[in-house]
Amino acid sequence: MNNITSEKLQEWSKAGHRTIMGETLYMLAQERDNVVVSTADLTPTARLTKIRDDFPERFFDVGIAEQNLIDFTAGLSVEGLLPFAVDMAAIVPMRCAEQMRVSMAYMNLNAKVISIEAGVRFGPLGNTHYAMDDIAVVRTMPNFTILCPADPLSVHKAIIAAADHEGPVYIRLTGGPGFPVIYKEDFDFQIGKAIELKEGKDVAFISTGCQLAETVAAAEALEAKGISSRVIDMHTVKPLDKDILDSVFAENKLIITVEEHSSVGGLGSAVAEYKAGFSNTPRQIIASLGDKFQEVGDHKYITTNAGLKAPALAALAEANL
Amino acid sequence: MVDKDTVKLIKERCAFMRRDIIEMGFIAGGRGAHFGPALSCTEIVASLFFKVMKHNPKNPKWAERDRFIQSKGHGCLAYYSALIESGYIDKDQRKTFKQDGSHLPGHPSRDMEHGIEISSGSLGNGFAIACGMAKAAQIKKEDHTYFCLVGDGECNEGLIWEAAMNASKNKLDNMVAIIDRNGVQLAGKTCDIMDFDLVSAWKAFGWEVTVLKEGNDPAVIVETLELAKQKRNGKPQAIIAETIKGKGISFMEGSLNWHAGVMNEEQYNQAVSELEKA
Ligand SMILES: Cc1ncc(C[n+]2csc(CCOP(=O)(O)OP(=O)(O)O)c2C)c(N)n1
Repeated sequence: MNNITSEKLQEWSKAGHRTIMGETLYMLAQERDNVVVSTADLTPTARLTKIRDDFPERFFDVGIAEQNLIDFTAGLSVEGLLPFAVDMAAIVPMRCAEQMRVSMAYMNLNAKVISIEAGVRFGPLGNTHYAMDDIAVVRTMPNFTILCPADPLSVHKAIIAAADHEGPVYIRLTGGPGFPVIYKEDFDFQIGKAIELKEGKDVAFISTGCQLAETVAAAEALEAKGISSRVIDMHTVKPLDKDILDSVFAENKLIITVEEHSSVGGLGSAVAEYKAGFSNTPRQIIASLGDKFQEVGDHKYITTNAGLKAPALAALAEANL
Repeated sequence: MVDKDTVKLIKERCAFMRRDIIEMGFIAGGRGAHFGPALSCTEIVASLFFKVMKHNPKNPKWAERDRFIQSKGHGCLAYYSALIESGYIDKDQRKTFKQDGSHLPGHPSRDMEHGIEISSGSLGNGFAIACGMAKAAQIKKEDHTYFCLVGDGECNEGLIWEAAMNASKNKLDNMVAIIDRNGVQLAGKTCDIMDFDLVSAWKAFGWEVTVLKEGNDPAVIVETLELAKQKRNGKPQAIIAETIKGKGISFMEGSLNWHAGVMNEEQYNQAVSELEKA
């Protein structure tokens, strides 16, 4: 984070993931002349106006045509550019699943897809705007790497890591304005390598995306009650960090995976699929948005109802240990 | 006018290609093959590979090559036969078509060593990808041309039109779409399944349209494609080529039954003898 000051982090925390993404892509476009950014009529929403104005020859708005956004991006990549497609999480992986599968994954192209507003951050806009299934969809595609950064600096570092990684990457962004800062200083963000934020013997929380802050708070509350709690930032949902999971299976009594996603096909499923290959592993509980459409409300309302806030997560651990 | 020798050469190549198509399709046996879709575009693909396109089979990744993208991927037997006849793929690979573990599946799979630029077969996507590729060439200030073969039935896909409008907005005049208007799609005639005015539609989406009445005549194809290739007038070019599905094999021509099918020995022998006499 050479050039990311703590003032910048505070500013990013206030602004939320869209601004961080827009500014990070801008930095990349400045540094690398093969970076191309495209979106589908979301330029201001996705904070891409500055890129549009300063790099008009490397910025494209394809109109409200998301499938073409993905194929166009794939084509740019076939010819050796480093393209990023930016769009809404509720629309892109689901509507364009087939384009992501055949045009990016199958050819193993060096193309990046960034989804903004994953989960239920679009709250009052209703269920058409919630992305509860995007991890599930993309996880079925061979070759795709899935990143789900947990805080402002992680968003920045995940995008750079994706740019440096050869192959298709899906970046799922959660965390709106008031995005809690977890990483205050530079840290090593390696694709496929989870970060252990806190050691602990009883429960292991494994989280992805912005719910990590709730998880950290839950772990602190449990520690105060004498329950030893481990916290892991599984920023890469695919490929999973199997080494850290192996140590969790060996050392912890209970696993709680935490994600702002459906209970079907997300981080919880990924961990459970891996765990299924072993006997004598700890019990796992999937804390998620469940398998249902949500009652409309703001982000806090929905995630509270879903039991994703710190007190509920702590209570869940306590009740199951 | 295209000179006589060129026309003669392309016709000879088409004869070899048709022979390859029938061989490979027959080898596929009970797995079946898309005969009609390959035979309708044989002259178009041959004109590209043996005259119009700048390319080098000894150097498939040559940066300055013109690109061929077969969006109607199910017609791959025409593509494979052109790659075989120009030396990208060994002739003895014909026997592997659609076989277990083959590198020549029923729809093209990206393989730059053997001249296959992209994977296609899910209709609509190849054309949209080709437009992205053409934009990349513009960004990199490279001046080769993209030739993309699209089915007329394929034009039912919404994605074709999403990409078409984006191509004209981006002034992709390095892009030539060739629409293989053979009038038959999978389940019947194109005019019965989804009838609309293809020419007006491409024009409405900002493309310069040329209707090629003799889409199986190399002389006319080469002339039209070379003209389209030279035009750098800010507009992408659409060539609507009127062709005959199953062209060259009497019992397949215009037939609704040979979009895809299994060829028996009798049919094979008849097809081979027709090609020998032609
Ligand atoms: C997206 C998609 N839908 C359906 C199919 C199945 N399919 C294969 S070929 C075909 C008909 C194509 O007709 P046309 O584009 O006219 O090509 P032709 O065979 O006449 O050359 C269909 C529906 C497919 N391959 N891709």
